[in-house]
Amino acid sequence: MPSVNGSDVKRVIVACDAGMGSSVMVASTLRTKLAKYGVEVKHTPVDEIPGDANVVLCHQGLAARAKSTAPGAVVVPFAIFMGDPAFTKVENAIANNQVLES
Amino acid sequence: MAILSREGVRLGLTAQDKTDAIRQCGELLVELGAATEEYAAALHEREEQVSTFIGEGVAIPHGTNESRAHIARAAIAYLQFPDGIDWDGKEVFVCIAIASKSEEHIDILQSLAAVLMNPESAARLREAADVDQVMGLLAPAA
Repeated sequence: MPSVNGSDVKRVIVACDAGMGSSVMVASTLRTKLAKYGVEVKHTPVDEIPGDANVVLCHQGLAARAKSTAPGAVVVPFAIFMGDPAFTKVENAIANNQVLES
Repeated sequence: MAILSREGVRLGLTAQDKTDAIRQCGELLVELGAATEEYAAALHEREEQVSTFIGEGVAIPHGTNESRAHIARAAIAYLQFPDGIDWDGKEVFVCIAIASKSEEHIDILQSLAAVLMNPESAARLREAADVDQVMGLLAPAA
């Protein structure tokens, strides 16, 4: 199972089906929170996750597709687009250098 | 035409249900010259995969990845349903309909995200009484 140390996270990918709506919204709010740790946030369609991604956030309904596109990445699913505990989990892992697992 | 135009802001609408609201979103995007009927149909398909409800009484209907081919130009439309619509158990008062195959609309969605992060501005977006208010709230951040 993929895992990554918080301090090794330099970029977080937010994926959704079309990369047009939901992922843009999530990436927008997360970008503000993660900028102070020097972490970049990108949004992509779930089928176009970059091969070198190590952390991917996506809606739970797309997690299986995200894992098949990016088998080496830690995939963190979320259920709601605002205020989901998954966002806090990723932010805390980066802030405190904790291990993140799929 | 601007991505969010005055013609794309519709206040005081009514819808029978979620499907009807999404149909109105699609019709408006077609009317604005942003997309074709195929794209309008894909809004329903995308909604069935994962709900586009994002919180604070707002949903953001948009198409699937494949349907991006049916987009003519980037556009965002605001549709207000003051009576509320049952959206799979959540209540939706505003649909932000999206058509875009590039990054042109990102700044407006970033403004939307910022508006929704604050409960007071989110309420202003839901209860907007005129087009200027909506345009002001969703204006791209400087």
